[in-house]
This record gives sequence, structure tokens and C-alpha cells, in this order.
Amino acid sequence: MPGGDFHPWLFLFLAAWILICGLGVVAFKKIMYSAASMVACFLGVAFAYALLNAPLVAIVQILVYVGAISIVIIFAIMLTEVQSGAYDLFFNRQVAFAAPLAVAVAAVLTGIMVTSDIGRIGDAALNPSVKGVSLLLFKGYVFPFELISLVLVAAMIGAIVLARKEEEKA
Amino acid sequence: MSALYWWLTLAVLLFCIGAFGVLVRRNVIVVIMCLELMLNAVNIALVAISNFRGGALGAGELFSLFIITLAAAEVTVGLAIVIANYRNRRTVQTDQYDELKG
Repeated sequence: MPGGDFHPWLFLFLAAWILICGLGVVAFKKIMYSAASMVACFLGVAFAYALLNAPLVAIVQILVYVGAISIVIIFAIMLTEVQSGAYDLFFNRQVAFAAPLAVAVAAVLTGIMVTSDIGRIGDAALNPSVKGVSLLLFKGYVFPFELISLVLVAAMIGAIVLARKEEEKA
Repeated sequence: MSALYWWLTLAVLLFCIGAFGVLVRRNVIVVIMCLELMLNAVNIALVAISNFRGGALGAGELFSLFIITLAAAEVTVGLAIVIANYRNRRTVQTDQYDELKG
């Protein structure tokens, strides 16, 4: 449906889900609860992509974020904080400065969004298809695609070098 | 009010929650998690704009795919640094990374 198939109740449900889980990541005292809340938030974002007619990004989100990144983060938690047994010390004294700063950032971004003409021109959902995205990926953006594979290899090697044991260093 | 505004408002709010968490939390792993929230917010904005006025090609979706890939690389290197640091200092609290303090 070209008029932008916007489901208000579905959107509100998803927005509440994403924001509550995002707040949970910030506010939970136990780091494992934060991680679980983060996984739920990523899942909600994947549903948001599906609602935005972007099934490819939704699937990649579930594969990469809900699958891989969450597992890596939980591994890191297991390797560090759970071993030492100490819970995270909660908010530090920066909260008095951070809260107004976050609200100010929200105000600035909202102001930019409202004053720009971004929502005024087109409301027709144009539905970029998987075919269109892949054509763009392998035709117009093939150089960034190859570059990103290089970045991934460099990150992998860097992570191995950083995280290996000290004694093995020559 | 256009539907795009609702999606962008959601992205702004999620971005600010993530930024607040990055500024406030002490545990460096939670800081990385909040960073991921901020990247997700940017992705929501990109996909929403791509859906509503990006043209049939979907460059916004493509950029969100690039951002997801870079986020995976970033979280790998970041957690490797955290674990290497934990091996030396036995802590993941940011206020105890104070070796440079004179």
C-alpha cells in the first residue's frame, strides 16, 4: 500500500518495547539483566525493521545483533565481571551532568528534525526491495563492500592479538 | 504529522538513552552495550528514511547494513581491549582505569 502502511498501535507497542528495554540496559544493576534487556531491545529493533518494509535488514539484525554480538558480550561478561563476583557500582557522580546533556541532545535533534523538511515531501512508502538493495550493494557500492571485508579481517586479527595471553608475546 | 516523524522520534529517544548510559555507567561492558543502542538508533533512522523517501534503490538500508557490520567489528575489538585490560587490572570499572593519574 503506497500511502505508507503505518500501523499506529503496532508502532506504539514496538516503540514502548524498544525504549523500555533500552532504559533497562541503562538502569539494571546486575550486568546480566542489562545484557538480557539489550537482547530484547535488539529483537524489538528487528521487528521495527520488519515493520518498515526492510526484511533484509531485519534478518541481518537478528543474525548479527541478537545472535553474534549478544553472545560476544555475554562471553565478555562471563570472562570478567561474573568471575570477580562484584556487582556493578551504579550511577557515578556524572549523572547530574549527563541527564541535562542527554535531554539537550534530544532537544537539539528534535529541533533539527522538526525544522527540516524531511517528513514534508514524501510520505509514500517506496519499498526498496531486497533486489534493489543487493543490486546497489554489488554494483554501485562494491568498493565499500570489499573495504568492509578488509575491516572485518583487521578487526578479527586485532582482537586475537589483543586478547591472547601475555606470556605468548615474543 | 507524518509517520516518518514518529520513527525519527523513536530513534532520537533511543539515541539519547544510549548516550545517557555511555555517560553515566561505570562498567565498561555496559558502556559498550549502550554504544550498540546508539548505533541501533541510527539504523532505525536510516531505515525509516529509506522506507519513506529514499527511493526504490534503498541506499539507507544498505548503509544500515554497513553500520551493522562495522558495529560487529567495533564490539569485537572493544571487548578484546576490555578483556586485555581486565587481565592487567582485574577490573572493568572505568573509574579504576587510572594508571595515567600522576
